[in-house]
Amino acid sequence: MADKKTYWSGLEELDRTPEFERMEAEEFPAERPVDQFLSDDRLQRANTGRRDFLKFMGFSLTAATLAACETPVVKSIPYTNKPEEITPGVANHYASTYYDGHDFVNVMVKTREGRPIFIRSNGDTGVGVVNSRVNSSMMGLYDGSRLMKPQIEGKESDWESVDSVVSEAFAGGGRKVLLTNTVLSPSIRRAIAVAAESSGVEHIQLDAVSYGALCEAVEADYGVRAFPEYEFADAECVVTVGADFLGTWGDSVRYSCGWTSGRTPEKGAMSRLYAFESNMSLTGSNADVRVRVKPSDSGRVLAALYRELSGEGAAVELDAAIMEDVKRAASDLKRAGASGLVIANDNNLSTQRIALAINRILGAVGQTVVIPSQPGLFQGEDKAYLDLVQQMKSGQVSTLVVHGVNPAYHGPDAAGFREGMAKVKTTVSTALVEDETSALCNVLAPRHHWLESWDDLMLRPGRMDIVQPTIQPLYDTRHGGESLLAWSGQPLDWYSFIRQTHNAAYVSDDMYRDNAWNEAVHNGVMMVDGAAPSAPVFSGGELTAALREANNRTGKGFELSMYRKTTMGSGEQAANPFLQETPDPITKVTWDNYITMSQGDMESMGLNTYIAQEDPASVVEVKAAGQTLRLPAIPQPGQADGTIGIAMGYGRGANSENIGRAAFQVGENGQHLLDADGNLVPIGKNVFPLADLTAGMPDYSALEVTIESTDETYPIACTQMHHTYMGRDSVVKETDFQSYFAEMDVPRGEASWNKTIGLNVHDDVNGDGEINALDKKATEEFDMWHEHAVEGVGHRWGMSIDLTHCIGCSSCITACHIENNVPIVGKDEVRRHRDMHWLRVDRYYTSDYSKERGGEEGEGVISTYAKMEKPSDNPQTVHMPMMCQHCNHAPCETVCPVAATTHSNEGFNQMTYNRCIGTRYCANNCPYKVRRFNWFHYPGYQKFQNFNPAQDAIQRMVLNPDVVVRSRGVMEKCSLCVQRTQSAKLEAKKAGVPLTDELVNCACSDACPTKCISFGDLNDPNSEVAKVFKNNRRYHALEEIGVKPNIAYLTKVRNTPNA
Amino acid sequence: MQQEASIREPLILGNKTYKDITDDVVGPIQGAPPLSWKIGIAISSTIAFYGVGCILYLIGTGIGVWGLNKTVGWAWDITNFVWWVGIGHAGTLISAVLLLFRQKWRMAINRSAEAMTIFAVIMAAIFPGIHMGRIWVSYWVLPLPNQFGSLWVNFNSPLLWDVFAISTYFSVSLVFWYIGLIPDFATIRDRVTHPIQKKVYSVLSFGWSGRAKNWTRFEEVSLVLAGIATPLVFSVHSIVSMDFATSVIPGWHTTIFPPYFVSGAVFSGFAMVQTLLLIMRKAMRLENYIHTKHVEYMNIVIIVTGSIVGVAYLTELFISWYSGVEYESYAFINRFSGPYSSSYWAMMTCNVISPQLFWFKKIRRSLLATFVLSIVVNIGMWFERYVIILTSLHRDYLPSSWSEFHATGVDVGVFIGTLGIFLTLFLLFARFFPVLALNELKTILKSSGEEQKRIQEEAKPNSKAS
Amino acid sequence: MTMESTKKVFHVMYDDDDKLMDAAKNLVGQGVRIKDVYSPFPVHGIDPVIGVKRTRLAIASFMYAMTGTSLALFGMWYFMIQDWPMNIGGKPSFSLIQNLPAFVPVTFEFTVLCAAHGMSITYLLRNGTLPGMPATNPDPRTTDDKFVMEILTEENAMDAEGLEAAVKGTDMMEISIKEYAA
Repeated sequence: MADKKTYWSGLEELDRTPEFERMEAEEFPAERPVDQFLSDDRLQRANTGRRDFLKFMGFSLTAATLAACETPVVKSIPYTNKPEEITPGVANHYASTYYDGHDFVNVMVKTREGRPIFIRSNGDTGVGVVNSRVNSSMMGLYDGSRLMKPQIEGKESDWESVDSVVSEAFAGGGRKVLLTNTVLSPSIRRAIAVAAESSGVEHIQLDAVSYGALCEAVEADYGVRAFPEYEFADAECVVTVGADFLGTWGDSVRYSCGWTSGRTPEKGAMSRLYAFESNMSLTGSNADVRVRVKPSDSGRVLAALYRELSGEGAAVELDAAIMEDVKRAASDLKRAGASGLVIANDNNLSTQRIALAINRILGAVGQTVVIPSQPGLFQGEDKAYLDLVQQMKSGQVSTLVVHGVNPAYHGPDAAGFREGMAKVKTTVSTALVEDETSALCNVLAPRHHWLESWDDLMLRPGRMDIVQPTIQPLYDTRHGGESLLAWSGQPLDWYSFIRQTHNAAYVSDDMYRDNAWNEAVHNGVMMVDGAAPSAPVFSGGELTAALREANNRTGKGFELSMYRKTTMGSGEQAANPFLQETPDPITKVTWDNYITMSQGDMESMGLNTYIAQEDPASVVEVKAAGQTLRLPAIPQPGQADGTIGIAMGYGRGANSENIGRAAFQVGENGQHLLDADGNLVPIGKNVFPLADLTAGMPDYSALEVTIESTDETYPIACTQMHHTYMGRDSVVKETDFQSYFAEMDVPRGEASWNKTIGLNVHDDVNGDGEINALDKKATEEFDMWHEHAVEGVGHRWGMSIDLTHCIGCSSCITACHIENNVPIVGKDEVRRHRDMHWLRVDRYYTSDYSKERGGEEGEGVISTYAKMEKPSDNPQTVHMPMMCQHCNHAPCETVCPVAATTHSNEGFNQMTYNRCIGTRYCANNCPYKVRRFNWFHYPGYQKFQNFNPAQDAIQRMVLNPDVVVRSRGVMEKCSLCVQRTQSAKLEAKKAGVPLTDELVNCACSDACPTKCISFGDLNDPNSEVAKVFKNNRRYHALEEIGVKPNIAYLTKVRNTPNA
Repeated sequence: MQQEASIREPLILGNKTYKDITDDVVGPIQGAPPLSWKIGIAISSTIAFYGVGCILYLIGTGIGVWGLNKTVGWAWDITNFVWWVGIGHAGTLISAVLLLFRQKWRMAINRSAEAMTIFAVIMAAIFPGIHMGRIWVSYWVLPLPNQFGSLWVNFNSPLLWDVFAISTYFSVSLVFWYIGLIPDFATIRDRVTHPIQKKVYSVLSFGWSGRAKNWTRFEEVSLVLAGIATPLVFSVHSIVSMDFATSVIPGWHTTIFPPYFVSGAVFSGFAMVQTLLLIMRKAMRLENYIHTKHVEYMNIVIIVTGSIVGVAYLTELFISWYSGVEYESYAFINRFSGPYSSSYWAMMTCNVISPQLFWFKKIRRSLLATFVLSIVVNIGMWFERYVIILTSLHRDYLPSSWSEFHATGVDVGVFIGTLGIFLTLFLLFARFFPVLALNELKTILKSSGEEQKRIQEEAKPNSKAS
Repeated sequence: MTMESTKKVFHVMYDDDDKLMDAAKNLVGQGVRIKDVYSPFPVHGIDPVIGVKRTRLAIASFMYAMTGTSLALFGMWYFMIQDWPMNIGGKPSFSLIQNLPAFVPVTFEFTVLCAAHGMSITYLLRNGTLPGMPATNPDPRTTDDKFVMEILTEENAMDAEGLEAAVKGTDMMEISIKEYAA
């Protein structure tokens, strides 16, 4: 019989254990029906009692409050497609070229995450060096007032309609004129040619500040209308008559470094600079001999020089004292011969011809003065422009395209131009913002900022400098050249057009084929082979007429000489807060335009000569050339008596054109000031209209000026209210070249001009057998604590500043500001001595009075000091960059209660912002007063809303992500750009190379046009700075207080002739 | 019971019994406040509120609302701080030093002097707080463990020494004061009838019963506290002076500062005590306990300390010249001839000339003259600190950074405000606290009471006989 | 007898500290043990008479002071030298002794702080005087101008009557005799 197998799931099933049966029963438990659950009436009864309600209430309130306490969340969105060359946190550098119609510099643009944040000179292949106008020019890119779209008749529009309107106008009749600044771009010239042939557009060039006379003088004598090239490096003796070539005159970005390279005392020879000028200019402040002459005398000075050197020409009426200096200059020029150099500022043909003639006599033409075979900078044609204005007035002009100039502001006869604009049917402007001119135009076709655009620039034959975009165009703008092409009916994208200019065979997108081009873009310059042009030969005529005119110039009453500030230039960047906040290198005044007068004149007119926080300047009324201006007057040592100076480049936006919020005056609470009829109040006054146009070109001086004092006063914001160094020779050390040369080789600290300060010790150190007052030890050798050795231990970062090479241009100040996100605090705060400059350039004047003199004259010590506070009428000037000295025995560190400032073992005096509680004790205890306190919340407080970049959504992009923006109530100061040193360390580590000078630098040393600042590792014997520290001109400011700074200065050497 | 030479002027006038003393002091507390007091508190508290407003505005907006600048980092703030701390020196000095020297005349004044000390120190403590850029992190000055691990404070910094000095001084003075108050609270407790008052004072009196053992301990504690408070008083202002003395700034870097500051502190402290007591004795009818003799004693202290201060000023001048250091000598020339010379000469007149008037017994014993001069002295002492801080800073080493200081409304408002707060606190004290040290006064009643002295005089012959 | 079983407390009041003094001397002379004296101010010289021992608060405060000193020094050594030495103004940060000058002020202040507060707290605790404690003086006037002597029969060989007689013998003002259970 078949037996049936039975299987059990387990022993439990076999012998039916009770729990097995239970589990078996409950294997599939019947769910409790939902309706039954809901029908449970206890649920109905469940209600929220008052107390519970309050509990919930309380909870939710607390929750809400807590949530509110959270710090705001800042979203950072990663790249969806990361551009291959961009690594977040790593900077990219692009070679490019800056050209604004005046300054021409090859630059290296630093970008972070695609934002240009720092501009420095392109050292490798570059010409020119950045100045503050250039290295802060990226503010123009981020300017909140930029036009974001093309406009027609004040209404936002698109490019199609703009193109149709303008092409129509081009097709139409009447004169069609393109008004531009000096065009150096071959491609733009090509585009203009296209426009000319397709629709007969005429091209007129206009410079903001005209050098017409000089160019015409060259034309008269050499047949080519061009601005000469000056080789200051080769000049042994330079005579400038009013030309501020270190600051703003001509191609200054190239002159400053050239001139200083000829002034290195270690070479055993120095060039000498004579400055004959009425205003105290940057150049004059660096001159070895500075002579105060009235503008009307400048011609005579040159005539006299000419006479001294050539023996020709009639006798010249000149003040005897001036004549003395002219003779001296003449003899020095004779000695220099072909290495002499004479330049003049007057935009006056005869003056310039005499200057040129002097250079010719010296044989300098071809040596220090090179006459180019073809025009480069400053091709402005003032006469053509003035004719244009007349035709515009008479309605002959149908179409006017304005590109890169702002004639309604700076143009000669701006009033006439404005009047004419009304009569022109189609007026087009390519300006980035709605400036004075484009406000009058009916079509606005905004162009790219230079940092957004491709361009090619040919300054001189043989090399083509390249402008490459470093950021995507921020707005709906278009390159001016591209617009021109579109309007002349040949639309083509600008990049290809440029490529075609240089390579007819160009086919689009050969990025990977054309290595020559790639290399050029990489270097920012392309060497092109043009047939070496033959130097123009002298074909000039005789000078008698010129000399006569020069002799006959006379002034009446006061004489005005207009000048440009090193910071403001001719005013293109009036809305750039960095430039406004940077003090003028001479007056140290920020955010303002004013009249400079000699101290004597002001006293005789009873004007206030003591200008300070609560002592405003007196306002005076100036009448000249039929115009009347009211401006504050400030005393300017070195100003020629009977003359005044007013800076050009101010008074922008006089009709409240939207040129940028920082260009207008703000009240103490930060709101823009409004005048009687509700217009914004511009900063300063526009003096271009005062220029004398009789010669058909603007001469920037007025020889008949009357000044009346008014009872108005006006506050002035000056970063330095005391101007002499009170005989404190451990602050500034200077000597003349003869004395230096005599002791050139004595070891450091022994030369008469750089004696180390010694302290008496109770020990026979001089070994004369007895202990007496002669036993002195150098302060350096004193050390209360021998711990924390610095020599030869790891890195020790240090900096040296050569006072001989520092010309005070303040390029370092803007660079420092931009690199370190230093807050812009505005006029009112600067007036209260609360400027935040981490790096300042102290400017000291010499005084007639000294302790010695006081002693001789038996003057009491009090009155001696009082008299020493007044600068001489024609003082010598010292520019002294001053920043944190990174003392090894820092007084600031020991006094901080919370150890927020300590010493790094690499010699940095480092500031820990987020530890700082803001007692300001460190600042008080700093002998150099270089620490800066955050008095307000600059990125947020209303007082700063109208100029602080951190308070503008767009301008904020300029902030350097490597440097934190400091909060309110903390102390800050120069960090020697520690962020750069740190990244350099990483670079070196990655590359496996030693950390050498090439890798490390500071913003200031980076921006210094004369390379007077060098930064590096003092423990690296090969570093520049270590070598400089061995120099016998080296000293430390306030050496005797024994704080042992890591910053050193080199004694200033002047090349004053021994009388 | 010890006797006192009869030629000594009595310290307690009139025929007072123990009970009278209690009545004179506790009486006013029970009664309704006089109108004068109401007016006083109204005015002072209004000023106090204004001051608090200024402080809130300061904290809300930033230190920039003061007149300070890149060169002058301290001006009114630290001036006020030092001034108040100085004033806060009299109380503890009186109760501690004079206790050690067994000066009985102190007993009438020490209670209110200590109260003044404590309030003055509170005022002083306000300034280091609000002068910080970031007061909300002011607790970082304490060596607290924190999330940054090894992030401690800097014990090299005089400011940190200040933190310890001021807090120690404040808390010790407070304890010293309160321990003295306990028995007197007990007296009030056992006297007052109003239930609330009774409750409050019995809490305040910590259940004091006045057993013999308690009194022994009481006296021991007072003595020892006095013993350690004395060096404390001197150390505090020495340390405050080191804020300046240890710096490198010409005019601050001066080794003479500690003694100079301490005597200056006592000087101004006594002056303030005079000002307040002369008002209080009238307002609270305490002419019998605080009278010419006490005023004269304090004036003598003022002459002495004032002269020390004067000598210190002259020494500074001499040394600045003698040092031959350019910066040092200029700092002092600038003081008396520079832009702020007016402050300097104000200081000189108020602190050096005016106290010398006390050499004349007439002036020394004239309450009116004393009152006026005590105020003059405190004005002078304010200017002293202003001169030291401002004139040294505004023109230091580099002429390029020389600047000016112009006080703003907030500067002034905060200072006036602290005066208001101070007066408010003092008025409250005068109203609700025993303004005289009852238990101490009672111990000297027999030895220095006027009537008792007379009796002893008469008893003299027999006592000789026996 | 019932008299033995009950204990009595005598509160003898005097209106002058000198009278109190004489009475105390007199009674002690008779061999009376005085438990305590309540007075509105310290009656100098009473302690030895009624046998109150010298307090040791001063010693305590000295110990607190020493604690303060060592704590301060240890703390600064740990913060500035041991835990995280920093280069502050080039000052030495490698050993306590080098840095000591800078540490003196804080050390002193902290010493005083500990001494003063330590002693004060001890004082209040030993006295039993703390916020909210009940007052134990037999008569409110003792904090004003009266002086009370407290005598317990249980501490004395003399019986109640004897004591009463002795006390009445002094220049007293009032007397209150209460019984209390043992």
